[in-house]
Amino acid sequence: MISTAQELHPAPVLEPGRTILELRGLEKRYPGTHALKPVNLAFKSGEIHAIVGENGAGKSTLIKLLTGVMPRTSGEIIWEGQPAALATPHEAMALGINAVHQEVVLCRHLTVAANMFLGEENSRFGILQQRAMVRQAQTIIDDLGFDLPAHVTLGDLTIGQQQLIAAARATVRGTKFLIFDEPTAYLTRKEADQLFTLIRRLKGEGVTIIYISHRMEEVFELADRVSVLRDGTLVGTRNIAETNDAELVKMMINRSIEQVYHKEHFTPGAAILEARSLSGKGFENVSMTVRAGEIVGLYGLIGAGRSEFVTTVYGRHRKSAGQILWEGKEVQVNSEHDAIRLGMALAPESRRDQGLCLNLPVGFNLNLPIYKRISNNLLISNTQEKTQADRQIADLRIKTPTRGALVSSLSGGNQQKIVIGKWLAHGAKLFIFDEPTVGVDVGTKAEIYRLFGALLSKGAGIILISSYLPEVYELADTLHVFRRGKLVATHGFHAASHEDILTQALAEKQEKLGGQI
Amino acid sequence: MSTEAIAVEKPKRNYNVLFGLTLLALLVLLWIVLSVATPSFASGNNIANLLRQGSMIAIMAVGQTFVIITGGIDLSVGAVVGFATVVVAMMINAGFPIWLAILATLLVGVAIGMFHGFGIVKMGLPPFIITLATLTSLRGIGLLMTNGNSINIKSDTFTAFSRSSFVGIPNLFWMVILVGVPAYIFLHHSRWGRYLFSVGSNAEASRLSGVNVQRTIYMAYTLSGLCAAFVGVLLAARIGIGNPTQAEGWELQAIASSVIGGTSLFGAVGSVHGPLLGAFILATINNGANLLNVNSFWQRIITGALIIIIVYFDGLRRRGK
Ligand SMILES: Nc1ncnc2c1ncn2[C@@H]1O[C@H](COP(=O)(O)OP(=O)(O)OP(=O)(O)O)[C@@H](O)[C@H]1O
Ligand SMILES: [Mg+2]
Repeated sequence: MISTAQELHPAPVLEPGRTILELRGLEKRYPGTHALKPVNLAFKSGEIHAIVGENGAGKSTLIKLLTGVMPRTSGEIIWEGQPAALATPHEAMALGINAVHQEVVLCRHLTVAANMFLGEENSRFGILQQRAMVRQAQTIIDDLGFDLPAHVTLGDLTIGQQQLIAAARATVRGTKFLIFDEPTAYLTRKEADQLFTLIRRLKGEGVTIIYISHRMEEVFELADRVSVLRDGTLVGTRNIAETNDAELVKMMINRSIEQVYHKEHFTPGAAILEARSLSGKGFENVSMTVRAGEIVGLYGLIGAGRSEFVTTVYGRHRKSAGQILWEGKEVQVNSEHDAIRLGMALAPESRRDQGLCLNLPVGFNLNLPIYKRISNNLLISNTQEKTQADRQIADLRIKTPTRGALVSSLSGGNQQKIVIGKWLAHGAKLFIFDEPTVGVDVGTKAEIYRLFGALLSKGAGIILISSYLPEVYELADTLHVFRRGKLVATHGFHAASHEDILTQALAEKQEKLGGQI
Repeated sequence: MSTEAIAVEKPKRNYNVLFGLTLLALLVLLWIVLSVATPSFASGNNIANLLRQGSMIAIMAVGQTFVIITGGIDLSVGAVVGFATVVVAMMINAGFPIWLAILATLLVGVAIGMFHGFGIVKMGLPPFIITLATLTSLRGIGLLMTNGNSINIKSDTFTAFSRSSFVGIPNLFWMVILVGVPAYIFLHHSRWGRYLFSVGSNAEASRLSGVNVQRTIYMAYTLSGLCAAFVGVLLAARIGIGNPTQAEGWELQAIASSVIGGTSLFGAVGSVHGPLLGAFILATINNGANLLNVNSFWQRIITGALIIIIVYFDGLRRRGK
């Protein structure tokens, strides 16, 4: 039972610097994949230890073994000097090992408060103390500096906000060892800062932290040490002060990258899409034009209305006012089907909920939008189905044993590549990419940006939504800034500074979210 | 990409084939054991009988499988069969040509399926509820139409069909092939089949990928209704009467066959050959148990146990243990 936020993090038993957790020959095999080859690694009490590596390198697998989510194939885990079985998540939590997983694993239909206390509900004589739990949860959330209400249903929050709740939840359980698996993938700078404050505070309280990320600047900002995994092998561990970006990337992918943000400038052609004073659920009075050969970037905080705007353009939601013009003519887009027929393609924000059929094969997912094209009136062409899928797998370097493997068995970043890959062969004129590189490693990011260039050169237009400012900043020819459902500013390529854009995206006056949700 | 991984992985298609072979082996094993245990099992008469019994459930199971793959369920099929026997009997007795009577009955099945689609897509009702509602009301409508009596079908050509054979194989079994082959092509080699799977796996992702989810759901229930109405025609021909209370509980046998055949009630997993084999396994067990004079109460228990065992092992294999 939890009474106040102060008692939540008990003082650690170990003095800083001693080994708290040690991996000896830790190994994991999945059917068909040797995900983790024997790894030896020691974590020091009170350190922030970053783990980096390509998509499918085995980072999440390592975390799943440490938290008892999956059984290990062989090897030993030594916790505070004693071998630990770590066969169930329960056992890990009892030791004080908690994790915020890459995919939010909470109950979407329960309230934020219910999720925070899931498994250790506050009850009196068997009756849940709902009000008390909401109050306590709110205290904890406020105390962490997160601007979120505790009484709403979790599913009503954005993925980023859910991720913050998952982090808050992990801190309330007498944690000694806390693992973050790509926690900032869906967060904007502001939310990420809140999270970093939390992480530093936990460190100050003696908690050992593993931090997994594909963003190097975060690793350098937070970590004390960093370990690199490649293909299931530990390549090395460095003190953060003694290494640099280039060295880590080299260790990760075994080659160097000259330039991540590959940007080609084309002379924009005719307008493909024009929105005139478009309003709908979550945004109002938005006007913009996307022309052939240009990338239009949409930046803003999560919940600023960018995704709602594009899904409305795409026919998923009804517009309440305004016009959509397609190649100069006004059109009614009443369904996704209409949008696709016009020539739009949408890679949506949430790969789990909107992007993928997880329990179906990789090839199936990649071909889903083009089945019509690769079949005659009746039958699907087997060869086309194979070659199309294999081409995307090769182009995006999707790490999968075969095209027949289920998507659910792929690592997070590789799943994300499928969300994008399935549209690349579609031949659309307007591509809408909503957070396309969430959880994707540097090498593949560079590859994806190159593919953007290829699409543009064929005369397509791109709408790029990203909560990661450098991405839109370096890629967008035109950058629109959203704030609370309104388009508040527009800049040309590199025409404004990061600071200006950030200020425009943040509301001057910070209001509590509670009322609006 | 590690090359080592490529060598080890077995693609999903192979798994499907493997599972089908396992079921086939189970069926053959049952037949061998029963032939040894009782001499009457292997008689031509009994085999023909078994094939007739199994065929009707098999056809229903195919339609049911389409629905289950989309993540739904069709509880109405047994009632549709009973209702269809009434429709076809009344029309034949009213002097309509046989082909017209059959066609009209099939259209009734299509209409019922469309109604289910409407209830699910437009009214937002859960499949379980809307098909449960049809289950009870169809029986009621049939009873109203017949005043609770059976209708004797006055056409020998019609009834002769289901009793006769073609090249030594009962006509009813030929009907399984007539339904099974197009169903197989439809489910595994056409894009509509792919859409059934994708809707069952993630309807939102399918929508955003341009799949017409509503139409796909209509299609699944319509095909299930059509299969059931077809079975109604076959049943009417076999027993020579139209009676709305016929085929009581067949919906559960169809679902059981489908599940034994590897269909997942969570959606997105299933095949055509699996449910067909499942239906004949069930029919064999019932037939064998009859011949061995096993109490019919026990037959039900055995069927239940079999469902649990097969689905359990299938689940284990799928999770790769
Ligand atoms: N349940 C599973 N079944 C089979 N293979 C799996 C399963 N989970 C992961 N894998 C495989 O194990 C390897 C390592 O995956 P893991 O999720 O640990 O990668 P990761 O380093 O976290 O990558 P990312 O940066 O994309 O999140 C991948 O090749 C993946 O395909
Ligand atoms: Mg991962």
